[in-house]
Amino acid sequence: MIRYEFLMQIRKRSLWITTAILAVVMPLLQGNRGPSSLPDDMSARAVMGTWAFLFSILLPIGFGTVLADRLVRDRRLGIVGLLDSLPVGPGARVLRRYVGSVAATAVPGLAIMMAAAVFELATGRHDPALLLWAPIAFALVMLPGLAFIAAFALVAPLVVTAPLFRVLFVGYWFWGNMLPTNFLPSLTGSLIAPIGDYPASWLTGERMLWAGDDGWLGFLRPDVTGATAALSIALLLLVALVPLAASGPLLARRRVAG
Amino acid sequence: MDLKISDLRRRFGKVEALRGVDLEIPGGMFGLLGANGAGKTTLMRIIAGVLPPTSGLAIVGGNDLSTREGRVAVQRRLGYLPQDVGLYPDLTPVEFLDYVGLLKGLDDKPARTRQIGELLEMVGLSDVGRRKLKGFSGGMRRRVGIAQALLGDPSIVVVDEPTAGLDPEERIRFRTVLASLAGHRTVILSTHVVEDVAQTCRETAVMAGGRVMFTGPVTDLVRHAEGATWEVTTSGPAPTGGVVVSAVGRADGTHYRVVSPSRPDPEATPVAPTLEEGYVAFMQTVSAGAERVGSS
Ligand SMILES: Nc1ncnc2c1ncn2[C@@H]1O[C@H](COP(=O)(O)OP(=O)(O)O)[C@@H](O)[C@H]1O
Ligand SMILES: [Mg+2]
Repeated sequence: MIRYEFLMQIRKRSLWITTAILAVVMPLLQGNRGPSSLPDDMSARAVMGTWAFLFSILLPIGFGTVLADRLVRDRRLGIVGLLDSLPVGPGARVLRRYVGSVAATAVPGLAIMMAAAVFELATGRHDPALLLWAPIAFALVMLPGLAFIAAFALVAPLVVTAPLFRVLFVGYWFWGNMLPTNFLPSLTGSLIAPIGDYPASWLTGERMLWAGDDGWLGFLRPDVTGATAALSIALLLLVALVPLAASGPLLARRRVAG
Repeated sequence: MDLKISDLRRRFGKVEALRGVDLEIPGGMFGLLGANGAGKTTLMRIIAGVLPPTSGLAIVGGNDLSTREGRVAVQRRLGYLPQDVGLYPDLTPVEFLDYVGLLKGLDDKPARTRQIGELLEMVGLSDVGRRKLKGFSGGMRRRVGIAQALLGDPSIVVVDEPTAGLDPEERIRFRTVLASLAGHRTVILSTHVVEDVAQTCRETAVMAGGRVMFTGPVTDLVRHAEGATWEVTTSGPAPTGGVVVSAVGRADGTHYRVVSPSRPDPEATPVAPTLEEGYVAFMQTVSAGAERVGSS
């Protein structure tokens, strides 16, 4: 079943178009802190960590946007009645949809990381380890954030409609991940910022953006270490369970309302 | 699988869609007739376990639909074609059926694949089984819908307005498919098209205003128009007494069939009624009764 959830998402053209556009735009806009400015003797791990973080700045906006219709489209397509007549509860259905959609959305993300590694290989860094660090950096920096936003993107439109969710989500993305906390209280730089600051900073050995920066909810802002990077990933996955757990009751409520 | 429904009610905000439905369906092919808005879809959705009733009892095959266990037990043996069902446009019929089959708990892959092949053959979609559903016509979609409902050899099949929007050939084909199923199953067909019921069902119920007004053999419903169905041939204006059910222009004038308790025209000759005329006559007595109640 997850196979079909995967298929339906991966066949979504907007997923590929959005990823492709952002994958071209970000390297062009990378400025002097992006991977192209890294010294030649930089380790493969740090190079791919830098790439992963570069993509992580805007790509999740695309992901959140294309994931936002995954659950609500059952109703739009007029298929929800049929699904409700099948002997599978809504909770199980959402979970499968979630796993399949995240897996499918990960594919283009992983693909551009591999492309970045090939690009590095072709343009001067002759370290085959780049091809190994590309998927690792993807899995540590981009995937937890994807899992986090996917959970909200699937479930939140049950409450606020998909278009409104998309608008709110874009606002949240900049506010909660990039806007420094001394400007406005936010979760920027904390363990539960899905941009992947902690794992990327740990991979590169250098603070990527605001990871661990002083601010609001100080206990969520330890220094970057391997352990806090792992903790950040674990917390992101844990928080993602909150909307997923809410989805069953939300769908059941809709069923009762008819 | 038999069905027992008593005092079933459902409201949507201020709208009372079902106002105390009592109905027993023994098995075989059963037609549920009623005008748009009568409450057929609401009843079908409750039977399919999709919509909880506001109050009342629905027992299907001994399972109480108000409990989770009862609902799941019914849904395991149910095939349901909702009114205006949608499909995932990005899947092919084979994939869509496989998806539904998995959700129905058909875990044996070879058996599932074989059944999907047979069902697509049966609804005449074998050739396009691997084309995306996106480009399918309404009739083709409906056929995927019925194939989906038959997955897993359900013992109760609930189809809601399955012939709406089909062209005449598709409609006939569809009725044949449905009738062929009813041998060892309960098939509940809801429709506002009397002809669908006339061609396939022996037992029927008529709904109006959220209630079941009639249950019984189709022949009993036809009987309501006995002695009240007339044919009038005239080149002048249409007869005014009673309800004109059909009008066919011929060389000698227009042949009207009229349902009316009394002779609508001195020239009118009594004829044997069809189910449609029985239905019209029945609805006339129902609304006359309602008016009497309303004015008293
Ligand atoms: N989901 C709903 N929300 C509000 N009103 C509804 C809903 N479903 C049905 N109704 C109302 O209930 C009545 C019965 O509708 P329905 O069961 O669809 O009848 P039918 O299938 O016989 O045409 C109608 O007045 C309809 O407007
Ligand atoms: Mg209806």
